[in-house]
Parts: sequence; structure tokens; C-alpha cells
Amino acid sequence: MHVIRVLFVAGLLLTLLLADAAAAPDGEALYVEHCAACHRLGGQGGIGLPLEAGKLANVSDDYLRKTVRVGRPGRVMPGFQRLSDAQVDAVVAFLRTQTATVERTFAEAPVPGDAARGEAVYVEHCQRCHGADGSGEGEGTGVTMSRERSFLVMPASISNRGFLASASDQMIRRSIVVGRKGSGMPAFGSGKLTDREIDDVVAYVRAFEIQAVEPEPLDADQRPTHVYESPYDFETTVENVKLALTGANFRIFPDRLLEQGLIDEFSVNTRQIGVRFCNFNVLYGMLKIEPRLGIVLPCRITIMEQPDGQVILVVPNLRVISRWFNNDELVGLWDRMEESFIEIIEEVTL
Amino acid sequence: MNRRIYRVLGALALLSMAGVAQADNMLMSRIEMRAEIVLEYVKSSIEEHGYAIAHLQLCDGGMKDFGYPSDVYRVVFFGKVEEVRKISADYPELVTYLPLKLAVIAEKDETLLTVLNPEALAPYYADEALQIQLGRWHNDLQSILDDVRRATAKRIAARQ
Ligand code: HEC
Ligand code: HEC
Repeated sequence: MHVIRVLFVAGLLLTLLLADAAAAPDGEALYVEHCAACHRLGGQGGIGLPLEAGKLANVSDDYLRKTVRVGRPGRVMPGFQRLSDAQVDAVVAFLRTQTATVERTFAEAPVPGDAARGEAVYVEHCQRCHGADGSGEGEGTGVTMSRERSFLVMPASISNRGFLASASDQMIRRSIVVGRKGSGMPAFGSGKLTDREIDDVVAYVRAFEIQAVEPEPLDADQRPTHVYESPYDFETTVENVKLALTGANFRIFPDRLLEQGLIDEFSVNTRQIGVRFCNFNVLYGMLKIEPRLGIVLPCRITIMEQPDGQVILVVPNLRVISRWFNNDELVGLWDRMEESFIEIIEEVTL
Repeated sequence: MNRRIYRVLGALALLSMAGVAQADNMLMSRIEMRAEIVLEYVKSSIEEHGYAIAHLQLCDGGMKDFGYPSDVYRVVFFGKVEEVRKISADYPELVTYLPLKLAVIAEKDETLLTVLNPEALAPYYADEALQIQLGRWHNDLQSILDDVRRATAKRIAARQ
């Protein structure tokens, strides 16, 4: 009787185990779906940093798992909070197989450095790449491809909250000792810096955690677009907008009706027009910071005559849009742009 | 010890903050194929999903003309006229996001496809009809990206 019950329970457990194995998440498929767009299929890096063997051999699985979970807030990589633990484990296991590496584990003990002393080391040896505030010199992230930038691989933000929450002191220490060969970061071990200097600079990097400034949150009343009523008729409003934009050094593209190309030219509504404009110099600079910007380009002010005759201008709110990219560099730039942009529009609708 | 506690607390705080770094304001896909070819797959998939292609913006051309060399960088504009009419009548402030746009970005011999997830707009509107529309666009865009991935995968496999 007892034996049967034990067998029964064992059988049940086995079935559960097998079912679990059958349903084990596919790490490669998850990587292709969630990571490859930025890190490339073979992990060579793109918008994201390379995930190659030399690097992965020197980090822990715990670092990889936490990085996937929290991402890099404000530094392009999203946090994947909706993946299950099993899915995150599967992605990490896939990275291990793909790079033929095993994890390096680190003692939890903090590195006994002195941040105040570490500052001098940082300024002399690290700042030219990682910047005074640790957020990374130069424009944008990852591996440089189409548009020239100041580094082939952009130095990581080592003051980023996501990085500091994921990396242990000992792991940061290891990164400094061995450097990042493929990415141009020199190895500071083997005599380049003393053990004490390395400890001190780790403490200095860790202290970024306290200094980190969060980007200004959006006011609750911010909407994805601004709508202005024009005191003028349709034609005059369109003309005024173009004059103001040209005056502000934008290049104006040929007009496009909102419905143009979606329906035959006789049925298209001619009282809804998009005035499209761009400044290629500024655009080129912005694409280095955020290569995905094209999905909100070119800038466009839409002018529509409403059924009651009122003419309205619909203008994108750059503050809201920039925050969709999880890219603080872009947010800073667009918060400033938004101000001059609004001035132009207000001039037109006065 | 203290530092360790801070780190754990920090990680927990990050995890618990909703929308710290939203994973899906952006829909993205990478194709191991040159952008000029991928663009053709993108256009046919968009049309197969019932959208008309309104316009193709040649951003790389514009930049080149002004002395800024760039790899292929195209933006495809597409939409359905009934949907555009409904939005411009009911939610005129949303016309900024129409027609829909998909960016085709060359990274050497590979291509990055990127599109804004229309559901990024959802938190600003309580209206259920609009939520349904935004959700439908999201599904269509995801399906277009999936189609292109499947169709090109066949061709990439044949090439090897
Ligand atoms: C939208 C682009 C994007 C996506 C998607 C993305 N990442 Fe990242 N990832 C980045 C960027 C950018 C960085 C570097 C941040 C910096 O420069 O400080 C990064 C950094 C990392 C790092 C740290 C690398 C190092 O040098 O220590 C790891 C590990 C990582 N990503 C893994 C992943 C995994 C796994 C996925 C999928 C679950 C993923 N990423 C999805 C953009 C992305
Ligand atoms: C010549 C430029 C350069 C110098 C100098 C440099 N780094 Fe780096 N560092 C990089 C680059 C590039 C990366 C990202 C490489 C990668 O992940 O592939 C990086 C990555 C790191 C990382 C890992 C962060 C992560 O998310 O991957 C740490 C920690 C770091 N550096 C600390 C330092 C410290 C501390 C110093 C000074 C002692 C220093 N670095 C000097 C270029 C540099």
C-alpha cells in the first residue's frame, strides 16, 4: 500500500519534471527575439555592446541575469521585467553556449578601496573614455558602424544605475584588471596600476551610485502632441509656418497631404497638410546618439482645417517622444530643442 | 556589508519601479541581409497586411546631399485611409503619429527594422475604442516584423 503510494508520487513528480523539461524556454529564440536587434545574432554588438567570449569569461551569471532584468535605465537597454526567471536563465545559458564560456564567480566582499584616493586614478586613467561623471565619453552606445564617432566601441556608462545594481565590486575590479581587449579598454593589472590604486578606483566607481542624478521627470500634464489654434486661415497658416521654419534654419521638404498616397488624388482631403522639415547637420549628430530616431522623422507640423473652419496645428511633443527611447542623452538634447521649437510655433500663431 | 545591502536594495528598487525602462515602446528586429533587399520584403508584407504605402523617405540620400555620408536609411510610411480619417476626426492630436512609419536601417550587411509601438500612446487615453485601435496596430506591426523575419530566413538558409 505504502509502496504504491510512493511509486504514485514518484511517478507524478517524474511527469511534472518531464513536462517542465519539454516546456523549458528556448534561450536562443528568446535571444533572437529580445536581444539580437541590439547585440547582433552572434553577439558582435551593434546599438548594444559586444557580448563575446573574452568579456563573458570574466563576468558572473548573476551579473548577466540582473542586467537582463534591470537593463540600463536611460542608457538604451530596456529592463526585461516580464520574462520569467526560467526565461532569463535560458537566455544566460544560451550566451554561455554561444561563447563557450563558464561563469566566473566573485566573492561578495566589497573591495576595500578609498574613493577619495581613487578620484586621482580615475581622472588620470579612466576619464578620457568614461567621462567625468562616468556616463561614457562621446555620442551614443555600442559599436560604431555607419556614422563616424569618437570610439569604435563606445565606452560603457559605469555610473548607470542598472550597471551598478548588477555588478559586484569584485567583478568591477576584474574588468579593470583584465580590460576589454576587443573594445579598446586597456588592462590595468600586471603593473599598470598597483593593487591599491585599483581598489581605490573601484571604490570611486561604486560611489557614482550615490551621485547619480535622475533625469527630470515629465510633468503629469505633458501630452504626446501640442495642439494650437491658428487665428489665420488655412493657406496663411501654412505659409507662416514655412516662413518661421526657414527663418530658424530648417530645410523644408515638399508638402504632403495627410492622406496622400493612401487614396486616389481626387478623393484626398486637401485641407490637412504636413509641413515636413529637417536640419541635416543636427539630424546627423542626433543619429550618432540614437540610430533609431528615424521612426519619428522627419519633423512634421500638421495643419488641419476643422469642419467648423477653425485651423489647428498639431506639433509633436519632443519631451514625451524622446523618453520612449530610454536614452538620456537624447532626452537632454530634445528638452532643449523643444523650447526653441515651441517658440517658433507660438510666433506663428500669435 | 553596507555596500552590499545598498546594492541589493538598489536592485530591488529598480525592479519594483514600473516602467523604469519600458521594454516595448520600440519594436525591433534584425535581419542578416542587406537593407535594399529587406526593404522589398518590408513593403510587400505591409501591403499584405492591408495597408497602402504612402511614401518612402530616403534619409540617407538627404544626408548625403548635405555632405553627411550614411548607409541606407529609409523610412516607409503606410496607412489605411479609413483609419487616418477616423483618427483625424476623433483624435486630431494623434495625426502626428500617422501614417505609421517603419525605419529600415543598414548596419553594414545587416538590417535593423524599427518601429514605434503605437501602444506607447495608450497611457494618455482612457477611451476604449482608441485602445483597441492602438492594440490592433501593435499586432499588425509585430506581425509585419515576424513575416519579414520568416520570409528572409528562408532566403538566408537557401544561400548557405
Ligand atoms: C535596445 C537595445 C538593447 C536591447 C534590446 C538589449 N540590449 Fe543589452 N545593452 C544595450 C546597450 C546600449 C548596452 C550598453 C550600455 C552602456 O553603454 O552603458 C547593453 C549592455 C548589455 C550588457 C552588459 C555588457 C557589458 O559590457 O558588461 C549585457 C550583458 C547585455 N546588454 C545583455 C542583453 C541581453 C541578454 C538582452 C536581451 C534579453 C539585451 N541585452 C537586450 C542595448 C540593448
Ligand atoms: C580607451 C578607453 C578606455 C579607458 C582608458 C578605460 N575604459 Fe573602461 N571601458 C571602455 C570601453 C569601450 C568599455 C566597454 C567595452 C565592452 O563592454 O565591450 C569599457 C568598460 C568598462 C567597464 C565595464 C562596464 C560594462 O558595462 O561593461 C568598467 C567597470 C570599466 N570600463 C572601468 C574602467 C576604469 C575604472 C578605467 C580606468 C582605470 C577604465 N575603464 C578605462 C573604454 C575604456
